[in-house]
Amino acid sequence: MNKPLQLIRTLPDIKKEQPALAIRKVSKIFPSDDGYLNVVDNVSFDIAAGELVCLLGPSGCGKTTLLKLIAGFIKPSAGDIQIQDRRVSRPGPDRCVVFQEDALFPWLTVSENIAFGAKGLIPKDRLAAEVDRHLEMVGLGAFRDYLPKEISGGMKQRVALARVLILKPQLLLMDEPFGALDAQTREDMQNLLLSLWEEFSHTIVFVTHDLVEAITMADRILLMGSNPGKIRSEIPVNLSRPRKKESNAFHSFFRNLRSRL
Amino acid sequence: MKKLRPYRQILPWIIPGILLTVWFAACRFGWVPDYLLPDPFRIVKTGYIYLFAQADSGPYAGRFLADASASLLRVGFGFSLAVVTGIPLGVLSGRVATCRRLMSATVNGLRAVPGICWLPLALVWFGIGMRTTVFLVALAAFFPIYINTAAGTRQVNPLLYQAGAMLGVGRIRGIFAILLPAAMPQIISGLRLGLGLSWAYLVLGELTGVPNGLGAVIMDARMLGRIDIIIVGIILIAILGRLSDLLLNTTLCLFFKSARRSA
Repeated sequence: MNKPLQLIRTLPDIKKEQPALAIRKVSKIFPSDDGYLNVVDNVSFDIAAGELVCLLGPSGCGKTTLLKLIAGFIKPSAGDIQIQDRRVSRPGPDRCVVFQEDALFPWLTVSENIAFGAKGLIPKDRLAAEVDRHLEMVGLGAFRDYLPKEISGGMKQRVALARVLILKPQLLLMDEPFGALDAQTREDMQNLLLSLWEEFSHTIVFVTHDLVEAITMADRILLMGSNPGKIRSEIPVNLSRPRKKESNAFHSFFRNLRSRL
Repeated sequence: MKKLRPYRQILPWIIPGILLTVWFAACRFGWVPDYLLPDPFRIVKTGYIYLFAQADSGPYAGRFLADASASLLRVGFGFSLAVVTGIPLGVLSGRVATCRRLMSATVNGLRAVPGICWLPLALVWFGIGMRTTVFLVALAAFFPIYINTAAGTRQVNPLLYQAGAMLGVGRIRGIFAILLPAAMPQIISGLRLGLGLSWAYLVLGELTGVPNGLGAVIMDARMLGRIDIIIVGIILIAILGRLSDLLLNTTLCLFFKSARRSA
């Protein structure tokens, strides 16, 4: 009599304990002029469902390579990447990437770009409404029929965000998505992403070289070092949200992190 | 479309206007003899007879429709052949490094051969007529189409591919949904260059004793010393060439978003 009840109670717990993303001893070696380059070297970590983790490090430390490995654009030389129990072997709409540069399709309008990936997944009669909803979500309702070349860099990244959110990915991979934006726009985009994250609680891996950005966004920071690319340390960010960049707690955290670089 | 100011609309017609005036003056004042360059009115009259007069009511009368349809058919066939071979092969060598290396020496070698060299060989292989002309047209149009398609598809930003892959677009759909649209501006250049060359090689192919076609008329008129017919032929080829270019562009814009929006 008791057993089924117990099962029901324990099942969600098991699922919660399982990481959304598991990186197991992953290495990536590229051939170079003088031998081999160990871009990612024996990296392991877990990310829990709904967690926002920042990969922080200087350029060239392999953080973008690591992201591409998770996305499935390239294959690891050794090790294993698992998303819930499935091994990553190729790119797929369950792990969506927002790229550093503008990677929108220049011949499609804003709304067509957003609809692009959703075409096969969402039935035709609901697609238009879904696109509209996501346009509003990123605040681009008035720009639906504009081409990418006609809108600003910040707007392009909003489109890039909307076109992956519409696929309802389990995992959002962001490769310095706001790196090319001016300070004000960057802050707006951070706030937008955080409010969307609070609403939908995606699991997010966010690559950045900006300390302030990492402290603003992350639940946990994975600090990477280069040559070879390794995780040097793992720093939980236990500041309460919403985080104020001018607060004392933020400042002391920043100084502390800065001293560890 | 933006509305152009009046003088901007006149601008393209200034040079043709001057040329026409000089031509007119040259004939009227006897700067050039009539048998080398007939005056513009003669050309208009000859043109009218060639285009609209009752067939067989005089030499060259009313032959235009038959000649033009024969020429258009040859250009159409030859150009289509070049498109259906040039674009797929261009995509292959643009995307697959092995194909590129495999093709490069052959294509560049053949491309260096002036098209006119093929004429004697084509005459032996295919005889006088339709097939020789179509062969020459297809051969000439192939290279710009192939080379531009290859260059265009090769330069497609790899990020667009990765974006496509993550959005769940497979390899085959990727060709039509990402590769071709992204390379569209260059593909269009290749097609337009190819179509222009098609007309050039059409005339070359028709110079060799075929009974009909605009090139044949020009060659025939030279033998008979009918300079006016030669000039009418040249003007008509220019007009047809321009019209076919417009038609190509309009068709592409009608069917492909990427063509419409690349301008």
